[in-house]
Amino acid sequence: MKRILLLAIAVFCTLAFAQDTIKIGVITSFTGRFAEFGAQHKAGFQVALEEINAAGGINGKPVELVIEDDTSNQQAALAAAEKLLNEGVPIVMGAYSSSITNPLSQYFTRQEAPFLVFTSSADSITNPGSDWVFRINQPASAYAEVLFDVFDDLGNKSPLQTIAVVHGNGTFENAVADAAQQLATERGYDIVEMQSYDKGLTDFRPILNRFKAKSPDIIFMVSYSADAVAIMRQVKETGLSAKVFVGAAAGFALPEFLEGAQDAADYVITATAWTKDVNYAGAETLYQELKAARGKEPSYHAAQAYAGLLTVADALNRASSLSPEDVRQALAATNLSTTYGPIRFEDFAGFRNQNPVKMVAEQVQNGKFTTIFTQDGEVSDILFPAPSWD
Amino acid sequence: MRTSLIALVLLALAALYPLAFPHLLSIAIFFLILAGWATAWDILGGWTGQTSLGHAAFVGLGSYTLAILANRYGLAPWWGALSGMALAALLAWIWGKLTFKLRGPYFTLSTIAIAEILRLVAIEEKWLTQGAEGVFIFSLEQPFGFDLFDRQVEYYAALLYLVLVLLLVGWLVQGKFGYQMRAVREDEEAAQAAGINPERVKLIAFMLSGALTALGAAIYAVFLSYLEPHDIFFLPLSVQIALTAIIGGRGTLFGPLTGALLLVGAGEVFRNTFAEANLLIYGILIVLVVLFLPRGLIGAWRYRAIRRRYARSAQR
Amino acid sequence: MEVFVAFLQNLSGGILIGGVYALVGAGLTLVFGVMRVINFAHGEFLAIGMYLAFIMHSSLGLDPFLAMLLALPFGFLFALGLERLILSHLIDAPEDSTLLATLGLALILSNTLLLLFGAEPKTLYVPYATATLRLGALTLSLPLLLAGGIAILIIIGLSLFLNFTEQGRAIRATSQNRLGAELVGINTRAIHGLVFGIGTVAAMASGFILMPMLFAIPDIGPGFTLKAFVVTVLGGMGNIAGAIGGGLLLGIVEVLGASYLSSGYRDAYGLLAFLLVLLLRPEGLFGRTVQRV
Repeated sequence: MKRILLLAIAVFCTLAFAQDTIKIGVITSFTGRFAEFGAQHKAGFQVALEEINAAGGINGKPVELVIEDDTSNQQAALAAAEKLLNEGVPIVMGAYSSSITNPLSQYFTRQEAPFLVFTSSADSITNPGSDWVFRINQPASAYAEVLFDVFDDLGNKSPLQTIAVVHGNGTFENAVADAAQQLATERGYDIVEMQSYDKGLTDFRPILNRFKAKSPDIIFMVSYSADAVAIMRQVKETGLSAKVFVGAAAGFALPEFLEGAQDAADYVITATAWTKDVNYAGAETLYQELKAARGKEPSYHAAQAYAGLLTVADALNRASSLSPEDVRQALAATNLSTTYGPIRFEDFAGFRNQNPVKMVAEQVQNGKFTTIFTQDGEVSDILFPAPSWD
Repeated sequence: MRTSLIALVLLALAALYPLAFPHLLSIAIFFLILAGWATAWDILGGWTGQTSLGHAAFVGLGSYTLAILANRYGLAPWWGALSGMALAALLAWIWGKLTFKLRGPYFTLSTIAIAEILRLVAIEEKWLTQGAEGVFIFSLEQPFGFDLFDRQVEYYAALLYLVLVLLLVGWLVQGKFGYQMRAVREDEEAAQAAGINPERVKLIAFMLSGALTALGAAIYAVFLSYLEPHDIFFLPLSVQIALTAIIGGRGTLFGPLTGALLLVGAGEVFRNTFAEANLLIYGILIVLVVLFLPRGLIGAWRYRAIRRRYARSAQR
Repeated sequence: MEVFVAFLQNLSGGILIGGVYALVGAGLTLVFGVMRVINFAHGEFLAIGMYLAFIMHSSLGLDPFLAMLLALPFGFLFALGLERLILSHLIDAPEDSTLLATLGLALILSNTLLLLFGAEPKTLYVPYATATLRLGALTLSLPLLLAGGIAILIIIGLSLFLNFTEQGRAIRATSQNRLGAELVGINTRAIHGLVFGIGTVAAMASGFILMPMLFAIPDIGPGFTLKAFVVTVLGGMGNIAGAIGGGLLLGIVEVLGASYLSSGYRDAYGLLAFLLVLLLRPEGLFGRTVQRV
């Protein structure tokens, strides 16, 4: 009995190897703290995979994803990376959290294997980065950049000078806050307060009262979704008024923010990587497809996964062979138009192999998100200044 | 005698592992480091009876010291590791001096508090640690031409580390100091009456425990190549280390190692089927151990083996 | 004058938050005082309370304060079951055992919550979520005021129960001398169950009370357990009334530190106070200097 089983396994294996597919490695979080984002990624991959294989795959061969769950954990991710390279995949994509993607990028660089980042936003991943790490999504500092573009634009209507910043003490939040500091210096704004808080904090009142004493023009918040709701509620409660409220992080762009903060959320401007209102062809269609694949409201992470897979497929198509160096060169030469935005890899301002696509700014108007600002400038009326709370 | 023979065979197998499974090294490296950490923890927690839930502080200290010294001053990683150990010993000394007058659970609570404070310091003092942005280790000196970032090299380094810790603990507990540790663990007042200085014993145990943890952390830092305060000075890591040692068997030489094998192994097995189970398993196991196997797995096994031996000799 | 008003504003915020901390700590201190158990899972019960509040609000539309009254009896039974199942076997085990058992319990509970609800934060919206009360030049948050007020009421109720009822006296007897209590005919095993139930229910109540202002995530527990420890140590282990003082002190220290020093270190201020008291006056700031043998 055992012998028959072994034989069957052997036959199955040979069959599996005989099947001609192009394998692409993926590492993301399907379980653990980041499970929700892995699910969004999966939806994006699904949509992209259908598109790619319907168009004939890569050089005629269908694409197959080899997906590994990092369980929201660094060691598991590194073990998964080892496993994928052992299976001989020509390229790996991943992950969600910067704390996982950073060690992964170090590992792939040392192994000289191409690695595509499509969601993690810590600047450090591609700054300084390496020859082997490519990122299609915007880095954390891009959040700050688009918002400062908005400030410059609004400043033409009514002068804006002082900014008060409150941010969580995680990697991402710190990166955005640091970028804000730099941009403020470059563009002539004054940061009158810069306060951070540890995760799990619920009471922002001391910080907000401190801000109130300085009467800043702009309140700049960098928080994840749960904190975002609490901050906005307490902003309303403490009566902290300002001309502009910005939420420079994903938390402020999610539907949960609207549900939780209700009318306190109005007028808040936020930056996000992608919405269905961007000016790239097929945005609405992609949104519908992602929504169907996810089974609920898709986040920009799904769009990023979609674009990431398209980018990889495109590079593999152009590569002269599946050897790491050839794949790397093909990636470096990418010049692709996707519904997520244009994809190119450039070196600039300390970044390496970073896609210079810009972020999009939305504002909460009458309880709904409205895209107000893209790389083409103002695309919709911005409600400004925000009314005082009294 | 028999244990030494088994140990040698296992060591030989372990040395050959990378040749047999060259692509399953990451998980093995983590297991070796965790086993070393748990055994080091046990010096204080099992042999001297002081439960610390703050050992992640030593992990943080060891890893950040190596990284910062290598990045800023180009210091070779072995000096970085030694510096980390020295700093860890110093921290343990100060920490112990302050808190060892606290008994039992109070001491444990204080370890949590101190580790948490250190985490906040690591996050806030950006001039030192680069805060939440994290620290990369890009390049390190190569001893004898070995590339420290090669997984095979890291595996042997970790294996060496574990063996070193086991040898050290094994030697320590057989001697006079081992006797003193056990005396302090069982009854501090009686030990004092017997002429032992409990504070001194606890301090030395703590310093050894911390320094050895820091050494393992140095290897861990190279393994990850990227450090971030939230993930390194991590309370759940402290808990993981302590529970690994306790489940395996406190106050036994191979208990912590067994605990690490069981828990890392179970984590891998469940990873592809039921990943949340990972921490759930820790929880269930510790409750079961506390209720039914208070000596831990190896401790219970040894206890029964010893009793059997006595029973047999009594029957003659 | 402005500075003074700002100071009063901060102080009042600290006092209100302190009231909630007091409730979180009161349950823990009671459990420790009577059972000598350091309940590492205390914060997890708070988390359970928050999730229950969320479920009852989203499916039945119940206001958390109302839902709390309905859910607490079940919480009590649940805690009773846990005590019977796990803790009662460890009465005479070394002190470490109960600490580790409750630690394991905490891991089990928080990971079960993760499995059931996922890691995404859950919030609920009540109409008065951002309402405020004006007191002169001060603005007080209504939910926070409610939370602090109810917390203090619960603690006072608990205190009255302990000091003026027969059952309360039995509890106090058990905490002072378990053997002695047994000898005069008190069923200490039942008392232990009762006390653990009360302590847990206090934690769950805190969860219900905090939900309108906060959000529920599976790993919110340990942070609150730590706060509860701080309150317990500051107030004196086993000292319910002291928990009020301890909670208020913690709230004030945190808020003033965050307002006038650095807010990044907010939690560290409480932890430092905790360490200082633990080292210098372990019976707590409001306890009597009596050595427990």
